[in-house]
Amino acid sequence: MEQRAIMSDRETGEQIIEACQKGDREAFRLLYEAHKNRVYSTALYFFGGDEASAADITQQVFLKLFTKIEQFRSEAEFTTWLYRLAANACIDEQRKRSRFSFFGDAFEMLNVREKKSQEEQFIRIEMAEAVKQAVAALRPKLRLAILLKYFEDLSYEEMAAVLGCSKGTVASRLNRGHKILARRLGHLRETLVRGEQ
Amino acid sequence: MYGKHVTRELSAYCHGELPTADSRRVSEHLLGCSRCRKEFEAIKFGVRLAEHLPRSAAPDSLWEKIEASLPKKFAAPSAIEPRQRRRFTLPFTDLAFALTRGWPRAAAASFAALLLVGFSAALWYYVRPSGSAWEVASLAGAPTIGSERVSKSGRLAVGEWLETDTSSRARINVANIGQVEIEPGTRVRLVETRLTEHRLELARGRLHALIFAPPRLFFVNTPSAVAADLGCAYTLEVDDRGRSLLHVTSGWVALELNNRESIVPAGAACETRPQWGPGTPYFTDASETFLRSLLQFDFEGGGSAALAAVVAEARARDTLTLWHLLSRVAEADRSRVYERLARLAPPPAGVTRDGVLRLDQEMLNAWRTALESVWLQESAPALRKAWRSIWK
Repeated sequence: MEQRAIMSDRETGEQIIEACQKGDREAFRLLYEAHKNRVYSTALYFFGGDEASAADITQQVFLKLFTKIEQFRSEAEFTTWLYRLAANACIDEQRKRSRFSFFGDAFEMLNVREKKSQEEQFIRIEMAEAVKQAVAALRPKLRLAILLKYFEDLSYEEMAAVLGCSKGTVASRLNRGHKILARRLGHLRETLVRGEQ
Repeated sequence: MYGKHVTRELSAYCHGELPTADSRRVSEHLLGCSRCRKEFEAIKFGVRLAEHLPRSAAPDSLWEKIEASLPKKFAAPSAIEPRQRRRFTLPFTDLAFALTRGWPRAAAASFAALLLVGFSAALWYYVRPSGSAWEVASLAGAPTIGSERVSKSGRLAVGEWLETDTSSRARINVANIGQVEIEPGTRVRLVETRLTEHRLELARGRLHALIFAPPRLFFVNTPSAVAADLGCAYTLEVDDRGRSLLHVTSGWVALELNNRESIVPAGAACETRPQWGPGTPYFTDASETFLRSLLQFDFEGGGSAALAAVVAEARARDTLTLWHLLSRVAEADRSRVYERLARLAPPPAGVTRDGVLRLDQEMLNAWRTALESVWLQESAPALRKAWRSIWK
């Protein structure tokens, strides 16, 4: 939290970017430390908890970042680009994996008996694990919107810049994502209330 | 009456992303539209679920792999001046290195890590977002937060009790969504404050709440019910036996306990009792016979005799009470309540006698939506005034 508080200082952030542009490895390390967990968490939950994939995506994102660092003139521009890079890396990797291309439909495509066993499974696992799986089952665009909002804590305007769409589209994707989560995890409503009391 | 539906805007509304005028429009629509309220509950539940996603830390070994793959040009000595580097790193770092000069590298690193944990914990405690505590102003006397007296102002953190004696009063700023005034002889605790829920516990005494927020963001727990704000101003009082009395001055409040819910509009009141939960809401200008009989029915086992008196005394405005009674009376008495309610305010198209008597939820909700315009009509001038004062 302290790192983020420091990195949000515009003057400091721009000095770090400037140092990176001059090839300062220590500055790169600071930049990496400030953003690594958000990028990693987003990739981790995008791929349903797959740590190897999350590590690969994170490595990819930061290596690409370091090679393109000369392009940036402001911290705001850099941040938007970083998250856009992370989002695109997740989507591109998703497309490569044909078995995941239907994952967003998998929940709906399960027959009644399998769905029932999935629901029974959800009841048994912890709330966080249940939500993680439900998020991983969302269609990629909805999944990404949820992760950018709740891990990156971006505003709708920032998310629109990252995703290259309108604020209305961001709102629509989050709306659909929230409703699907609520529908699929409705049986956990009482558990949620008990856990929050 | 409430314009087109607002379901597409509900996530943005929940996240505070709408302009003020649009936010007000959505709030007003939610007051009167049960369909959109239902969607809003689903969206809020989805938000609360998403908030449970745990963050994960990237593995420590990842930097080594990245560093090993960096292009050769990234080997320049650091261009960051020592004072700038200090601003980039936690301030204890230089201290840690100074203290451990000459130590073996691993030991120095462990020591620095220990300092990091301790410093971060302390730093988090002092710089944690203000959303975890509410501002309190003393209006009279010296209220206390825990064992500390509040002379002018203070902060009420989650888990802490605010108490006023017979001569003190206080005002609490409820996050950024409203205010609660605490009367003398009152004890309240901050239970929770976050994006989708702000909650107080009222153990005894009286408070006045003025909330300008989406429905079901602000709650007050009492010993015999939970008051859920639906966008309103109200007074809530708890006595030493845990009984509560709610008076709503604008907007709506829901009182809930164990699947029993009373929706209370402006101008109406509702009592709650431990072991019973919320009673049946009523407009306070009903006749004495009506009010006494309703009390007997709700909490004193008055049965069919008390119910008969309530039904006989009911006016058009008292359809608020009659509608709630439909699902609370014995099956044998339900037709009596239905007949009186239908005579005072005929059910809308699609709502049948048979459906209501078997407690078809969709039909009950549809009738309630139609009745709300009657309940609100008499409260509308006060409601509009309250909303104008909140949103101007």
